[in-house]
Amino acid sequence: MTPPEPLERSGPAMNGSSSGLDDDIFQLVSSPIDPSAYISKIRGAQDGAIVTFDGFVRNESHGRRTLYLDYEAYEPMALAKIREIGAHIRSNFPIHCVAIVHRLGRLQIGETSVFIAVSAPHRSAAFDACRFAIDTLKRTVPIWKKEYFEDGAIWAEGELPPMPAATPQAKPAS
Amino acid sequence: MPSVSQNFRVKVLFFGRLKEILGRGEDSMEIADGTSIENLFAQYVTRIPELARYRASLVASRNQEFASWSTALRGGDEIAFLPPVSGG
Repeated sequence: MTPPEPLERSGPAMNGSSSGLDDDIFQLVSSPIDPSAYISKIRGAQDGAIVTFDGFVRNESHGRRTLYLDYEAYEPMALAKIREIGAHIRSNFPIHCVAIVHRLGRLQIGETSVFIAVSAPHRSAAFDACRFAIDTLKRTVPIWKKEYFEDGAIWAEGELPPMPAATPQAKPAS
Repeated sequence: MPSVSQNFRVKVLFFGRLKEILGRGEDSMEIADGTSIENLFAQYVTRIPELARYRASLVASRNQEFASWSTALRGGDEIAFLPPVSGG
């Protein structure tokens, strides 16, 4: 199989941020996400199932009407963390391919902010891997969203990534 | 000869509300040998006291890996202060 071509609808990834482990797809993009394009890229003849997660912008937050969201990322680290999720999935679940794509910049209500798709010979692994991917992404990938309302804007309450324990092996610079 | 403590530069990145408080997302700081990430953050708090209230809700990274606050820095390191993440 050939590596995935950059998806036309995704536009040039910010930062050329696309890379494949086998045929896996990991991207940060600035233009609208077309889920069907990713689904067809990871669908193989040996597969029996694809499980997808489509996360999109809700029209309210804690009872306030949302106008739009701005997403920003520590891009190289975010992409590295997304790749780590992909690598973990690959070594822990019997899957065929995984695609994880997150959009950055301004998103309107209803637009997809994150899309994850996992193909596998059997559904159970695809469900488990997809669930693991979105849960881990939300905890560990350095991406932030700011929510805009009619009367102001706030940074969304986020999750604190797990911090490594104090590092006794940390060496002073020499 | 008396030993002279060596200074070096690190790149420092701020995201989310920290970036807004600082008015910029990227800075370069000259620090002394043996400075930890905690010490580095404290230097910014000296300049911008408002940052202190966010310390407990931040994590730090060194060269794009999460790092403990006691991590000792080296010249050329890229340090980032990361508010709670809210992607997805």
